[in-house]
Amino acid sequence: MKTKSFLQFVGPSVVMMLLLLAIPMATTLYLSVRNCALEMEVVKVEESTPFGKKETITQRAKLGPDGRAVEQCEFVGLDYYRKVLGLDKSVSASAGQPPDAGGQPARAGDPADNEFLGALKFTMIYTFATLPFVLLIGFLLALGVNNVTNKLKGMFITASLLPFIITPVVAALSIKWLFRDNGLVPYVLSNFGIEVFWMAQAWSARLLIIVYGIWHVVPFAFIVLYAGLQSVPQDALEAATIDGATRWQKLRYVTIPHLMPLFVFITLIHLMDAYRVFEPVIVLTQGAFTTSVQYLTYYILLLENNPYKASAAAVLTLAGIVVLLIPLLVRTWREQKGGV
Amino acid sequence: MGKRSLPMSVLLYGGLLFWLVIASLPVVWTAIISFRQYIDAFSSPIKWVAPFTLENYTRLWIEKEFYRNFLNTALVTVFTVTISLTVGCLAGYALSRYRGSLGFWLLLIALMFRAIPHSSLLPSFFTIFDALGIRNTYFTLIFVLVAINQPFTIWMLRSFFVNIPNELDEAALVDGCTRFQAFRRVIIPVMWPGVVTTGLFSFLLAYNDFLLSSALTSGDKMTMPAAIANAITAETEAFLMQGVAGAVSITIPLIILVVVFQKQIVGGLTQGAVKG
Repeated sequence: MKTKSFLQFVGPSVVMMLLLLAIPMATTLYLSVRNCALEMEVVKVEESTPFGKKETITQRAKLGPDGRAVEQCEFVGLDYYRKVLGLDKSVSASAGQPPDAGGQPARAGDPADNEFLGALKFTMIYTFATLPFVLLIGFLLALGVNNVTNKLKGMFITASLLPFIITPVVAALSIKWLFRDNGLVPYVLSNFGIEVFWMAQAWSARLLIIVYGIWHVVPFAFIVLYAGLQSVPQDALEAATIDGATRWQKLRYVTIPHLMPLFVFITLIHLMDAYRVFEPVIVLTQGAFTTSVQYLTYYILLLENNPYKASAAAVLTLAGIVVLLIPLLVRTWREQKGGV
Repeated sequence: MGKRSLPMSVLLYGGLLFWLVIASLPVVWTAIISFRQYIDAFSSPIKWVAPFTLENYTRLWIEKEFYRNFLNTALVTVFTVTISLTVGCLAGYALSRYRGSLGFWLLLIALMFRAIPHSSLLPSFFTIFDALGIRNTYFTLIFVLVAINQPFTIWMLRSFFVNIPNELDEAALVDGCTRFQAFRRVIIPVMWPGVVTTGLFSFLLAYNDFLLSSALTSGDKMTMPAAIANAITAETEAFLMQGVAGAVSITIPLIILVVVFQKQIVGGLTQGAVKG
């Protein structure tokens, strides 16, 4: 294909990604070093009451000729980065936060001075706590299904796809209702003498998020590994049997090496997706005990109502995923160049 | 696979059954309590059997006008999938036929775009869309979802197009077709299996999106997942039970989808993987 027609074909797609992914990312970078605040003016308000005139002095947003509030923007450098990273100890250091963002109560259990590191820490805990379970359970299920009769296979695969395709926010809500006070799980556990208020403590809320993560991703790992098992070289397995290999040895020296690229593939996808964990965090804890990096940006933007600080958090989030993916990208690169 | 001893069989089937219960429990239990009054849905001790009622559903769909959210979701997903596939097919086809290094770079950049956390885009989406006055519109949400889906769509479609033999469209070119005619007359008729599979995943991404949909829509433009966000904080009985009914309502189309398209979904999941 000629370069000219290549460009014509990929054009619409590239334009779309440029306009709605690349440019917004650049804009985020730009917003993160700025701050805008409403320009305030002092006004005297005269009220006539039955007891005479009352004068009060108050502040209100200055309106421009078009009736919109006038905003004053300035370059603030890395101020918001310092704030998000907790390097800035004085709370109201940079002037001109919008007045309505001032009185936000700090979230319980989340020290206000290292928001980003706190969020990153839990995101990493989530990622690396779920990964081994996802791979292990997915692999065991794949081996198991590979050993049952064909009739049951289709049914089993359909049913086990459910956690993967269900809307994440709905799935997280369902799990919340299951573990809620007077829900099914606390009742069953109380029969064994275990009494836990799942959503009321940091450790159990975090555990639930991790359980959700495993539950949600296992079907994906299972399907991919199951497909991989279908292409394990049968002659190698037979040769191993003739040489007297045990079942475990065949698994260890034939099957697992054959599936290695798939384990790497699942790990890559899981790293990307786990870094974005959001729905279970907002549903199961409402940010009370724990945050994730996506949740942090969302919270600052929508609840603190501060797009500039949110941009700083977003840029740090993006930097995080780049660092996380560099080893894998380099590896893909080498393979591509190495001539596959 | 040789003979299995009895304990092994028990372990095997028991393990698989255990997973099935775990996999379906949240959905099944939510479905059960959605047909109950609050006091029967959450009670101590738990009630295994309770009077049947449709009240939660009628309240949600008629009083709360959930059908609007359903129609919004339908509109947004249909357009998102259609535009994603149209734009994605052109790009995916070109990427499968072009030999230059430009193609490799585009795929690499798309892979990185696939990894970006969506909330990172929100501050600038808010700023840009507010400045243009297009924040709470179907149009904006559809194009944002298309763009978010593009990286994945072109990767997946490319891997399907690579499997369509080069000779097919080369022959058309020799016969005097332009590239686009070759694509339209020769490739489009044979590309449908790949397009259906990619379309399914594109649909799932648009249908299941919560973060962007809830941030970019409000009021009567909300999609179903955005509308159910009320249930996150709801502790009043009526609200909570409507949330439960809503959760089931959102899930039913997905279950139908899996049952009908199981082969394509499984095929799609393994497509990228088996190729490495």
